[in-house]
Amino acid sequence: MNCTEFQEILPEVFEAGRTAEQAAHLKSCPRCSGLLADLDLIAREARQLQELAEPSPRVWNSIEIELRREGVIHELPGGPVVAPRARSWNLGAWLAPVAALVLVAFAIGVYQRGWLSPQSAPQLTATAPAQISNPQPAKNQPANNEDQQLLAAVASRSPAMRAQYASNLQNVNAYIRDAEESAQADPNDEEAQQIVMDAYEQRAAVYEMALDRSLP
Amino acid sequence: MAIARRAQLVSMVILATAIYASAEVRKEFRFTVGPRSVISITNQYGPISVKPGVGTQVIVTAVLHSDQVEVDHTQSGNRVDILSHLLSQTDADTGRVDYEVSVPADASVAMRSSTGLLHAEGLHGDVTLEGSQANVEVRDIANAHVHVRTLNGSVSLNNIRNGHVEVTSVGGDVVLNAVNGPLVQVNSTSGKIHYEGDFGSSGEYMLTSHSGDIEASAPTDASFDVTARSVRGKVENDFLLEPKHTPFVVRAGSAFAGTMNKAASSVRLFSFSGKIHLKKR
Repeated sequence: MNCTEFQEILPEVFEAGRTAEQAAHLKSCPRCSGLLADLDLIAREARQLQELAEPSPRVWNSIEIELRREGVIHELPGGPVVAPRARSWNLGAWLAPVAALVLVAFAIGVYQRGWLSPQSAPQLTATAPAQISNPQPAKNQPANNEDQQLLAAVASRSPAMRAQYASNLQNVNAYIRDAEESAQADPNDEEAQQIVMDAYEQRAAVYEMALDRSLP
Repeated sequence: MAIARRAQLVSMVILATAIYASAEVRKEFRFTVGPRSVISITNQYGPISVKPGVGTQVIVTAVLHSDQVEVDHTQSGNRVDILSHLLSQTDADTGRVDYEVSVPADASVAMRSSTGLLHAEGLHGDVTLEGSQANVEVRDIANAHVHVRTLNGSVSLNNIRNGHVEVTSVGGDVVLNAVNGPLVQVNSTSGKIHYEGDFGSSGEYMLTSHSGDIEASAPTDASFDVTARSVRGKVENDFLLEPKHTPFVVRAGSAFAGTMNKAASSVRLFSFSGKIHLKKR
């Protein structure tokens, strides 16, 4: 058995196991045994990734679209099926499924980091109110990441308002910093504790107004 | 020749005014409600004025400044919702709607607008006013909650009796005139706070700012105990106060505390860098 013959039946070897002849070829051919080992590793990693976090249907949908575009699967009346293998199987034909697996890994990474655009814009709207209960302004920074996201959302709806919100956020962050320092300086000072809450209330007010869709 | 030209100019101005006027549409909506109804008005651009009417009618008069905005209205039992609905890309001019609303005096009213003046008067139901740039005016309210929230708009409250008043303004100035009740609380980041009144017969008054100045003015027969402190700003007191114990160290010039007469109300004034002045009226 030579390399070409082995690569033609590689899917069967990968899925169903190997015969004595195939095993002998693998033993003697580092190129084919390396290829099989790589595929095996990719399949294992893909399974582990799936166990770590089940991506949303949106991710699977993107992969399906990509696979359709590549011609790996196509629609039949009975549902999507894998396209028949090319008669002359070669290394290039593996690019599509390998690319699909890489795409899975990438898509999961992207999904976990919340980078999927354009869905990322509504995400701010969904998460920011939950963060309002304890938004932590970073020290010595005019605006933290949350603030930057908020300002981006404001700018997308009303560019002229961005500067005002930026100024207000800077002020309320200074308020929070002062209030927290004051409360830490004297933990028994009830009024100082109340002021911390007042300061956070100001920040919450800015966030709520910025995210209020009924107002420009 | 000059007269003809002037006549032509005048007629053009009249024509332009007529065209502009014709772009405005005035609409009126009427709703019959029961006692303690709940009215909500949300306007993107433009003023909202709410006053007490007669009987059980809610009458909404809306002046629409273009055909790119319309008024949505719904009634669910005792609840009426009015909403300016922008139809396409609009701005503060084309999306503007001016509302004048009369409601039963016991109605609870919530109104929101980003730019116009928010005005409520003569009610004894709860009022909530909210707007980012909108200025807020509330007067002649009794026995009710008054909640105000603005970003940069100014706030003016006049003659609020026995109110439960909470004002949050990030950058707008707040003026309270003859406002009293069990709770009067103002919190601002950079806006100035001015109180003029007698602090009522019992209640908690808390005026807090980060950098805005706080000025409170009361008559000599007012009855209150007060603590005032500014972390980095100055404090001034015109009253002859009875000293009292404070949980914090009183440093001359940055804090003071004491009681006046029978100390009926509690007054707390606090700022980080604003100046605080308790004035005798």
